[in-house]
Amino acid sequence: MVMRRARLAAAALLAAAGIMLAGCSGDSGTSANGPAEITFWGWASGYEKSVELWNASHPDIQVKYEAITDGGAGGYDKMFTAAKAGKAPCLAQIGYETFTSFLAAGILQDVSGDVESRRGEFADWVWGNVGVNGKAYGVPVDTAPMAMFYRADLFEAAHIAPPKTWEEFAAAAAKVKTADPSARIMNLPTDPYLYAGFAWQGGAPWFGVKDDAWSVSLDSPANTKVARYWQGLFDQQLVTSYPSFDAALYSAWSKGKVWAEVGPVWSASLIRDNAADSAGKWAVAPMPRWGTTDSVGNSGGSATAVMKDCARPKEAAEFALWMSTDTDSVSNLIASAAILPASKSGLANTALDAPQSYFGDRPIYQTFRQEAAKVNSSWRWGPVMSTTATALGDGLGKVHTKKATFEDALGDAQKGTDSALRSQGFSVSE
Amino acid sequence: MSAVTIRRRRIRELRRAAPFVLPFLLLFVIVYLVPTGYSVGQSFFAVQRSGLGLGGAETAFAGFDNYVRVFQDGDFLASLGRVAFVGVIQVPVMLGIALVLALLIDSTASKGRGFFRIAYFVPYGLPGVIAGLVWSFLYAPTLSPLTRGFASIGIDVSFVTDSALPFSIANILTWAWTGYNTILIYAALQAVPEETMEAAALDGCSGWKAALLIKVPQIRPALLLTLVFSIIGTFQLYNEPVTMKSVAPNLSSTYTPIMAALRSLSANDFNYAAAQSVVLGALICVLSVFVFRASARSVD
Repeated sequence: MVMRRARLAAAALLAAAGIMLAGCSGDSGTSANGPAEITFWGWASGYEKSVELWNASHPDIQVKYEAITDGGAGGYDKMFTAAKAGKAPCLAQIGYETFTSFLAAGILQDVSGDVESRRGEFADWVWGNVGVNGKAYGVPVDTAPMAMFYRADLFEAAHIAPPKTWEEFAAAAAKVKTADPSARIMNLPTDPYLYAGFAWQGGAPWFGVKDDAWSVSLDSPANTKVARYWQGLFDQQLVTSYPSFDAALYSAWSKGKVWAEVGPVWSASLIRDNAADSAGKWAVAPMPRWGTTDSVGNSGGSATAVMKDCARPKEAAEFALWMSTDTDSVSNLIASAAILPASKSGLANTALDAPQSYFGDRPIYQTFRQEAAKVNSSWRWGPVMSTTATALGDGLGKVHTKKATFEDALGDAQKGTDSALRSQGFSVSE
Repeated sequence: MSAVTIRRRRIRELRRAAPFVLPFLLLFVIVYLVPTGYSVGQSFFAVQRSGLGLGGAETAFAGFDNYVRVFQDGDFLASLGRVAFVGVIQVPVMLGIALVLALLIDSTASKGRGFFRIAYFVPYGLPGVIAGLVWSFLYAPTLSPLTRGFASIGIDVSFVTDSALPFSIANILTWAWTGYNTILIYAALQAVPEETMEAAALDGCSGWKAALLIKVPQIRPALLLTLVFSIIGTFQLYNEPVTMKSVAPNLSSTYTPIMAALRSLSANDFNYAAAQSVVLGALICVLSVFVFRASARSVD
């Protein structure tokens, strides 16, 4: 507790960093002789089991898995600190959105050569998440394409067809409000990473790479279009504005006061675990499209990255490829973490065809499998996502107070990102 | 006694004191001076990259660049203003209540002293994060029983609007820390000699008058201590606003200075975070010294 201690803030901050330095353990592979030992830090459930499966069948390359805290909750900080102290593991679970920050810190290893022969086993847009300019610093594990979760019972009773385009979605929103004046079609996506999925779909990337310099385009015309769409729904009072991931939203889902959620594949668990009262009533349809452009967004997914000080990168990459493609490993990951596999063979896994009891025995993952191939490939994450996301989140958090709009939020995030890039020494193109 | 014997005696005393003082000194150096020195050092460096900047960064001496940034950083300056505002309102209210409660417990007329002493102190026992969570539920616009209660009698209130937030946070602080300060003040009151109060009573000064005119001046040092602790605490505000963010998304991620510094830290902007921390630390230091000085003068 920092609070009320007669201690300088500086001391507290850096003492914490010092303790972390001292408390880290882990080594980066052993000598080239004998069985290789590869350390692996991750937090997703199911990883440990996959590692056990590998160890049982690969006596020459033993992987030592260590569960750490979720990346966003301190796991990434631990990895950064460990890498600084030369105590980083060989492999690390890293979400795509944070991957570029790790590249910028120079603590990952280029394993393009080791994965080259198996590139074809993953879609191109997936590889784009684990490296820049065609290089690969790790192996993708899962993706999170988006779709529309909706209350099939309520839509049917109100004679509303699941909207196929955003235009239809707005019309449906009005019909929902007419059918039940106290209900709305959806909650405003104000979580920055969730909102990123909508920008992603709209062909509105936030970052680009041009001639050895970054470009920042949060305020591009394409982004403005997506922003104005949501602002419009909010201004017409066709959506709710609960905080993201808040109990109030979950209760509205449960009680049929919010009828749909356009979200990534992991929203399935979010709805299932938090809206138990509406079990059996939810169905999944493809994400509404922008006109005739047949592409969807993605919000989440992670990779197994090879860290810089790993002494056995070839073996590490081999394990990472196996974890993402081997049938037993992928089946285990689907069963324990409900992931949508990134590899083509993983997507073919029959476990994805299983009917889901919460969703009225509908095999909802089939929809995601089919949509995974349609994820817009123009998206790129930037190297200062933490700054971008907090700046955007701060702005989007004010939308419900009517003191700022989606466009304002994107404008602020544009400025914050640009200055963060410059102050940290990145080249930025005008 | 000659000068030599005095010096010898001093050395002997120091030697005796060493085992008692050294553990403190050692920890003080390790967890306080070294990190502070380290972050002061870090604050004079900045990272340099080229092109896309992938593949790591070099740090180079940057002089006062980071400090210039701190004083041009509108978000950080606003966060300082915010905690100052919370402090100006909350600290006097809290210490006022604490003083009255302490005087009440201390007054001979009061019954069940032990009970009240514990009862006031209980909120302090809850970690700030838990207090923040509990109050978050009470503040949450859609779930709060308070909001609903007010709504049922026709009053629309929200505890999480931009203008209500400082007061909502001040309320949590007051709830959590009044008891703590009450105990500190009460302890000081116990040291006021019984004879003084008897003498005052004989001179016809009793009740509230005696309390305010005789007891309060005598516990000045304790009041000063609670004041300085409270100022420091307010500037280091962190747990409560961070916890409340889940019900108040309009609470920005740079709401308080420590939140702002942590945001820089998680953006890997270590050197800038160090500069922000140093500025905050220096400010608290100056403020504490100022309060001590000002009150020392008024006592003389």
